[in-house]
Amino acid sequence: MQTEVERELIKQCKAGGPQFYEPIVRAYEGAGLRLALGMMGNAEDARDALQNAFVKAWHSLPRFDLKRPFGPWFFQILRNQCRDMLRSRQARFSRETLDERLDSRPAGDESDPEAIHRRAVARDVLWQALERVGTEHREVLVLKELQGFRYSEIAEILDIPDGTVASRLYHARLALKAVLEEMNAEYP
Amino acid sequence: MTRDVSHDQLMRFMDGELPPAERQQVSDALKGSAELKRQLVLFEAMKRDLQELSFTPVHAGDSVWNQVTVRITRPVGWVIFLAGALVWIVYGAWVYFTSSIDMWEKLATGAVVTGLVTLLATVIWERYKVWLTDPYKGVHR
Repeated sequence: MQTEVERELIKQCKAGGPQFYEPIVRAYEGAGLRLALGMMGNAEDARDALQNAFVKAWHSLPRFDLKRPFGPWFFQILRNQCRDMLRSRQARFSRETLDERLDSRPAGDESDPEAIHRRAVARDVLWQALERVGTEHREVLVLKELQGFRYSEIAEILDIPDGTVASRLYHARLALKAVLEEMNAEYP
Repeated sequence: MTRDVSHDQLMRFMDGELPPAERQQVSDALKGSAELKRQLVLFEAMKRDLQELSFTPVHAGDSVWNQVTVRITRPVGWVIFLAGALVWIVYGAWVYFTSSIDMWEKLATGAVVTGLVTLLATVIWERYKVWLTDPYKGVHR
């Protein structure tokens, strides 16, 4: 969504028009759902977190600074929502239904069933590793690798200095490597 | 890590976040260090595999907007309803106590209102007691 259009919509929302919130919700729910799924691991909890985050963002709009972009601000709310849900034990990272609910991005043009199976197993191993790596490491990995955010965006979402992102990523990747080694997953 | 390249620099190099001058410095260091190169290959393999986990929800068309709009507009409806109800209750009470109708009419009206309020209160109390012991209250639909 263009920044100017977004700003105008938010102005109208601040003036009390919920109908102007719909295009914003529709613009951000795809990326928001991917982030929430990466954090929560299952579709039901991810949708709950996403809904709650949109409602919280709506109630916080009067305090929203129109000079800032909406995206990182909203993803920060969503990330906090996911963390709260995981902490309050209303939900825990669980990937029980993940494969049934999600279409993984196709890996190249593989048509060999053996290769497809190998990749499916590899994906499963990675999900298990992400589950075991812990919330703090998982969130930075999800933001970088699954969402493709730049360091400056990750810094804003996680509310940390720009220079800390690389360090967080290094430790998260090391932790993931350690978990994969524990699981006897082979890496070059 | 090597003397010339920090962990942070290696991450920024891999993620394409280094300015060209520093990028060249890391490239040079990679040529001279097998250990650094091994680390980079490992991290790049994990990065590639993680990126392949990227997914789209099968039911991506199911927007959350309907649930969100209900939740953001319902409180407004309640506020308006309660404000209107309060005005009517106060007005009704004023009419009730100041009207010159017979006592039996006042008593009958009072009994109907008191009965309705009592019934409503007991239903709410029962629902509250059930909610306290509901094992599924933390489960979201």
